[in-house]
Amino acid sequence: MQQILPAISLEVTVLILGVLMLFAEAFAKSADRSHMARYAIAVLAALIGFSFFTQSAPTELTGYWKFYSVDATALFFKRIALGTTIVVLVMALEYRHVLQKYIPGVEAGQGTGEFYSLPVFICAGLMFMASAVDFILIFVALELVTIGFYVLVAYMRRNMQSLEAGVKYLILGALSTGFLVYGITWIFGLTGETHLDAIKHALTTGFTAPSAIAEKGLGGLQGNEAALLFGIVLILIALGFKIAAAPFQLWVPDVYQGAPTPVTAFLSVGSKAAGFIVLVRVLDVFLAVPAVAGKVTALLAIMAAATLLYGNLTALTQDNLKRLFAYSSIAHAGYLLMAIVAMSVQPALAKEAVSFYLAGYLLMTLLSFLILIIVARHSRGDELHHFNGLAKRSPFLAFAMTIAIASLAGVPLTVGFIGKFLVFKAAIASGHWALICIAIVAVAAGFYYYIRVIAAMYWQQPNESAPIVIAPLSRLAILILGGAILFLGVYPKPILSQIKEPPQAPRQQ
Amino acid sequence: MTLTLNHYLLVSGLLFTIGFAGVMLRRNIITIFMCLELMLNAANLSLVAFSRFNVGPDGLPNFNAQVLVFFIITVAAAEVAVGLAIIVALYRARQTTHVEDINSLKF
Repeated sequence: MQQILPAISLEVTVLILGVLMLFAEAFAKSADRSHMARYAIAVLAALIGFSFFTQSAPTELTGYWKFYSVDATALFFKRIALGTTIVVLVMALEYRHVLQKYIPGVEAGQGTGEFYSLPVFICAGLMFMASAVDFILIFVALELVTIGFYVLVAYMRRNMQSLEAGVKYLILGALSTGFLVYGITWIFGLTGETHLDAIKHALTTGFTAPSAIAEKGLGGLQGNEAALLFGIVLILIALGFKIAAAPFQLWVPDVYQGAPTPVTAFLSVGSKAAGFIVLVRVLDVFLAVPAVAGKVTALLAIMAAATLLYGNLTALTQDNLKRLFAYSSIAHAGYLLMAIVAMSVQPALAKEAVSFYLAGYLLMTLLSFLILIIVARHSRGDELHHFNGLAKRSPFLAFAMTIAIASLAGVPLTVGFIGKFLVFKAAIASGHWALICIAIVAVAAGFYYYIRVIAAMYWQQPNESAPIVIAPLSRLAILILGGAILFLGVYPKPILSQIKEPPQAPRQQ
Repeated sequence: MTLTLNHYLLVSGLLFTIGFAGVMLRRNIITIFMCLELMLNAANLSLVAFSRFNVGPDGLPNFNAQVLVFFIITVAAAEVAVGLAIIVALYRARQTTHVEDINSLKF
C-alpha cells in the first residue's frame, strides 16, 4: 500500500478540527450548533479512510520521534479512537435536547458547542496514547483524555447528579494521576530513563548485572527489587482506576449514572481502551524483568478475579440501566485483565485477545448506549422498566438491542463470543485454572442480568404506546454497529489480520 | 552534613503520604484538592532530585526528568482550572463543599 503521509498527521488534523470547533462555538452567528457535530463526524470519517494511506511500518526513531512510534497495532487503535468519537458525536446529537435543559441561560441549540468539540480533543489524546512509547507522552496524553472527561462528566451544570459525578471523577482521577506520576518517578529513579525501551534495557541488564548501571551514581538504588515493585504497584493502582478494576472501581457506578449518557458511553470505551493500551505497553517492560514478573502476575490475577466477581455479582440486582452497564463494564474489565494476566507466558496470544476484545467491546457498548439514549429520550427515563415492551414500540430498536446484549453476554455468532473465546484461550494456554473457574461463574451470572433486559423488551407490556422516531444518522449508526457485531462474530478475520503482530518486528532503540 | 538523594526522597515521601492521608481523611473538597496537588509536587521534588543525582558521563544531570516536571506542572495547572470550576459550580448548586452533603447518587 502506498504510504504518503506520516501517521502523526492524523493527530494533528484532529487537534486542528477541535480548535476550529471551539472557534465556531465562540464566533458562529447561527444559534444552532448541531451542524458542528455533523461536520466533525464527516472529517473524522474521512480520517479513518486516510489512516489506510499513512505510514504504518516502524521507522528509525530520533529526536522528538523517540516519543512516538507507529506500527499496525497503533494504527488499529487510532481507528478505534476515531470510530468511537464518531459514534459519541452521533449520540451527542441525539442527546442535545436533554442536555439543553440543564445548561443555564441559553436559547435552543446554543451552548452545546463544547460538548461536541471536547470529544474531538479526547480522541486526539487517545490517538497519541496509541503511539506513545515514552512515559512523558503517555502521561500527557492520558491527562488530555482525563481532563477532557472531567469537563464532559460535569457538563450539565444545573443537574445535581452530573455535578456530583463530575466532582467524584475529578477527585479520584486526580488521585490516580498522583499515583501514576509518583510511580513514573520511581521507575525513572531506578533506571534514569523515561523511554519504555530504554527502561526495559536498563531493567533487564541492571537486574542481572547490577554493575552495568552502577556508574550512574544512584547509590544503593539500582537493582533494588523493593523500590522497583513500589514503582510498579503505584503505576498499576493508577491504571486500575482508569480501567475500573477492583478494588479501584468504586467511582464507576456513580460517575456512569450521573454523567450525560454519551459521555458515559465514551468513558466506558475510551477511558478503558486508554488504560489497557498503556497497561499492555507498560507490562511489556515490567514482565521482562524476571525478578518481579511473578509477583506482578500474581497481583494482576487477584485484581482480575476480584473485578470479575464484583462486576458480575453486583450487576444482578441493578434496575437502572446506566448503572447496570457500569457494573457490566467493570465485569468486562475483568475479562480483559484475565487476558493481561496471561501476558507473562503467552504475550502474543494475550495481546491479540486484548486488542480484539477491546474492538468488540467498543461495538457492543456503543450500540447499547446509543439505543439507551434514544429510548430514554422517548420514555423519559433510563430505568429497566422504561424498556418494557420495546419490541412492540420499535421492533428495530429492540432487535438491535438484543444483538448488543447478546454480544455483551457472549452468545455465539457475535463479536463478544469471539472476544471471550480468545481471552479464555490465552488464559488456558498460560494455565491460570483458578481464574478460569471464576470467569466461568462470572459468565453465567452475566447471562442472567443481560437476559433481564431482553425479557423486559419482549415479554412485558409497554408503559406507553407512542412510537419511537429515530434520526437518520442514528439509524445508520445502529445499522453499521449491529451489522459489524454480527459480521465480525462470524468472520473475525478483518480485525485479527490488523492486530496480528508481524513476526519480525524488532522495534528500534 | 551533606544532603544526599535519600534526604530528598524522604521529604518527597512525607509530602506524598501527607497528601494521600489528606485525600482520605479530610471532608472539605477544596482541602482534598490541595492535598492532591501536594501529591503531584512530591513527585516533582523526587524527579528533580533523581535528575540531579543521576549524572551522565558528560557531567550533566539527566534532563528527561526535568522536562517531565514541567509537563506535570502544566498538567496540574490545567487540572486545577477545571477542578475549581467544577467545585464552584457545585457550590452554586448546593451551597456546600463538604463530601457528606454530596449524596444524591445512591451507593
